[in-house]
Amino acid sequence: MQQQAISKEEINAVFPKVAQIIADALGCDVEDVKPQVPLIEGLDAESIDFLDLVFRLERGFGVKIPRGKIIEDARGDLAEADFEQKGILTDAGLARLREFLSEVSPDRFKSPMKAADIPRLFTPETFCKTVIRAQRAAQASA
Amino acid sequence: MAGRFRAFSFVDRITRLEPGQRIEGQYTVPATTTRFPESLMAEAVGQLAAWAAMSHVSFTHRPVAGLAGETRYRGSVAPGQTLNLEADIERCDEEAIAYGGRASIDGRCVLELTHCVGPMLPMEEFDAPDAVRADFETLRGPGAPPGRFAGVAAPFVKLIEHVAGEKVRAELRVPAEAPFFGDHFPRRPVFPGTLLMDSLSTLALQLAREAPSLQGAELAPSKVTDVKIRSFTSPGQTLELLVDLQSATAEAAQLKLAARADGKGVATARIEIARRQ
Repeated sequence: MQQQAISKEEINAVFPKVAQIIADALGCDVEDVKPQVPLIEGLDAESIDFLDLVFRLERGFGVKIPRGKIIEDARGDLAEADFEQKGILTDAGLARLREFLSEVSPDRFKSPMKAADIPRLFTPETFCKTVIRAQRAAQASA
Repeated sequence: MAGRFRAFSFVDRITRLEPGQRIEGQYTVPATTTRFPESLMAEAVGQLAAWAAMSHVSFTHRPVAGLAGETRYRGSVAPGQTLNLEADIERCDEEAIAYGGRASIDGRCVLELTHCVGPMLPMEEFDAPDAVRADFETLRGPGAPPGRFAGVAAPFVKLIEHVAGEKVRAELRVPAEAPFFGDHFPRRPVFPGTLLMDSLSTLALQLAREAPSLQGAELAPSKVTDVKIRSFTSPGQTLELLVDLQSATAEAAQLKLAARADGKGVATARIEIARRQ
């Protein structure tokens, strides 16, 4: 299903709160949470931090973010085998990911890319978009 | 294995279970116990929630210490007293359990936990699934034999740096052997996060007593927030503990807690030490 594009205005509207939640989860200064900073390489986030972050975003925005939601949304209507094979993204999968994570600098998409390394690409803006999609889903089901 | 289901188990009986939603139980601190750190009340609530989680996923996974958003200490428990435990499960699947809970004694709340998250890991790594399932049936039925906990010795903590009323850096030598490793966990011994928090809280209490505004006051931990256990600590490992006093008023002190191993973060938290009510 084609998803409606997310505007810069929508991202700007949620960013301050998302940035504060990220700062609280990582124990860093909110000033360090720039929209495009990679959470792992730039802010030393670990897997436990992503778990923490998702639960904090759910509570902070009153939305549900199912586990694996970002990757699931990135894959879209692409079959799992067409997205990744033996843990490595296919060319189609990588192209789909690059399109979905449009906020991430193109030079950060390496080929071959392990599916397990996808979270290395995540930035605060990635989570802004996740929140916006979750808000839209909640409105649609209301 | 020696110690299994006794040396570090703090649920005696599960009295009510609404699968995936709520669980209630009890634990009686053995009358012979000489040391029962208050952090073990939080361990008891966490273990009760863990039983709900493990049964919910048919014992394929188990939660391990992860995150505790806020722990409020409202009282303490004495040897021989029974803790009534309850946990509300906010979410549970094979990735994580999210829950809140409380412990009370004769209707008086002594501990509240909110916004806790335990990452779920494959049970096989930590214990035999069939044995855990059998223990669950025991807790759901007749209950576990009372008085199983034989106490836990305070770990050896050596001060490295101490600036009175400001900060402490210390070394925690995790014992190479201890009965609780047989229970936590039988297939993979891990130093319990609640014991690590106990060591950090003890240092924080000492530091808070040195704050000019609190000198001479009777103090106790009142609130621990943003606990995050980042990695497992193995038997025999040495941890660096860091406690920084952030602020102090006439009523309470706020401190930052951290533990590191080989320069890498193991755990972080914040603690409030307040005048005892």
